[in-house]
Amino acid sequence: MTPTAEEKVPPRLSFLDLLQCFLRSFFLQAVWNVERYLNYGFAFVLAPALKRLYPVREERAQALTRHLEYFNTHPYMASFVLGAVLRMEEEKQTLPRPKQKQKEDEINALKVGMMGPIAAMGDNLFWATVRPYCGLLAITLVLSQAFTPGSRAWIIPVLFLAVFNVAHLGVRGLGFLQGYRQGDQVVLALRKYGFQAAIRGLKLASILLVGVLIVFVNMGELDREVGLFILKLSFFSALVGLFTFALHRKIAPGQLYYAVVLIGLILAYWPELSTPPTHLLEGVK
Amino acid sequence: MMEHWLAITLLLGFLSLDATAAGQFMLSRPIAVGALVGLLTGHPEVGLLVGALVELIWIGEVPVGSHLPADLLILAGIATALAAELVRGGAPPEAAMTFAIGTAIPLAILSTELEGLLRRLHVRWAHFAQRMAGSGHFGTFDGVNTLVLLGLFLKGLLTAAASLFIAHLAGRLFHLLPDRVVDGLYYAHWLLLALGCSAAIDLMVEKKTSPFLVLSIVTALTAAFFQIPGVWMVSGALLAGFILTLIYAGKGETA
Repeated sequence: MTPTAEEKVPPRLSFLDLLQCFLRSFFLQAVWNVERYLNYGFAFVLAPALKRLYPVREERAQALTRHLEYFNTHPYMASFVLGAVLRMEEEKQTLPRPKQKQKEDEINALKVGMMGPIAAMGDNLFWATVRPYCGLLAITLVLSQAFTPGSRAWIIPVLFLAVFNVAHLGVRGLGFLQGYRQGDQVVLALRKYGFQAAIRGLKLASILLVGVLIVFVNMGELDREVGLFILKLSFFSALVGLFTFALHRKIAPGQLYYAVVLIGLILAYWPELSTPPTHLLEGVK
Repeated sequence: MMEHWLAITLLLGFLSLDATAAGQFMLSRPIAVGALVGLLTGHPEVGLLVGALVELIWIGEVPVGSHLPADLLILAGIATALAAELVRGGAPPEAAMTFAIGTAIPLAILSTELEGLLRRLHVRWAHFAQRMAGSGHFGTFDGVNTLVLLGLFLKGLLTAAASLFIAHLAGRLFHLLPDRVVDGLYYAHWLLLALGCSAAIDLMVEKKTSPFLVLSIVTALTAAFFQIPGVWMVSGALLAGFILTLIYAGKGETA
């Protein structure tokens, strides 16, 4: 080993490097492909950090290629892995050469080990819980005509985007920071954030909104006749049960849509049918 | 061609990037797209209602693994543009919305197929990027991201333009429909709300949490009988949901 190599100060990531990587993480899925999924995205996010950590061109090319292996996870939760890998790459450069290969294996093992569990958690948390919750909140407000007709209707989509993105950006930021702070120990830290508890709580909160929604869409009849309201609500609930069963049997919503339109047409040709509720659309002209 | 078609096409082209490739801030979700296209066409209420209905019916569509859900951006955007055009032409809003969403569904499926095709083409981009990384052409490696984003934007733009044109042609058929069929579309709108509630229940409710649904319906019914305004009912549900979340969050991890 040459004396110059001994004395060389290992490069460190600056705040700007980390910021660049964080901003690039919003493009993680751009080159989503059916072969290795987010492999390019992962390397693209790390590229500014690798530029700093590997000043020698060949070493940088090698490091970038190393991160082009198969990778697939939830785009928001990926920030935990990205942060941790950045820290580990930085640590790798402080090690003597013989130990660097071992660190590379550890980095690969962390990526492979974490991507599955955090993908499952992210899909359940964001796609199956937070987004439907925000959607239901907006839908209930639209159908309750809380802000329509009128000029304040824009509040609803803005509220939807604001609530969702607080959770989205919060998890992205938290993941990136904690990943970078804790390195490979971030796996252990993941449990303490209470994602599973949040999923349970938000799912219950969503169920409450669905209950309110079912009553809302039939409330127009209440002003006319209570008996008719009860009848319509019962019919509506029976349909909800039927459609839930169909969806549970994996019939696609698009197929059910046309089935429902067909039922509507049959009802239209039914001579003695009373007019369905119209209150939802009274403001739309 | 539809009024504001160029503005709608550009809007949908940009928002198509948000769906997967860039950011994922949910600007491409039906509730946001419906509102934006509704504003552009001068029918914000129609946009909100179409967006809400599409968001509700497809609430259970989750992109897990390699599964590509239906392109809800095209579905909500095109349906709103068509519904606004039909309403402007004097069609009943409920029937117009049902017709417009029904027209947009096959277009959304085609757009999803096109997205799948692009993702297969992205394999070549990924291979090219790997060669560039290996040979030390880091600028070209980074440039792949921009080129792919440009490709996706063009795909979004062309899909939106073609879909708007097809929807506009289909819209002409609406005025040829017999009154009974228009009545049927009108009835179907109410039935579709039932389908939407089912989609939410299918996604959210499990056997052990079903009592919460019953409790919520009974409470909302009681509130309705006492003429409590809708916004207070939503606020009550939100507050109860918040308390439940806190209770569960306080219990920590069990799994």
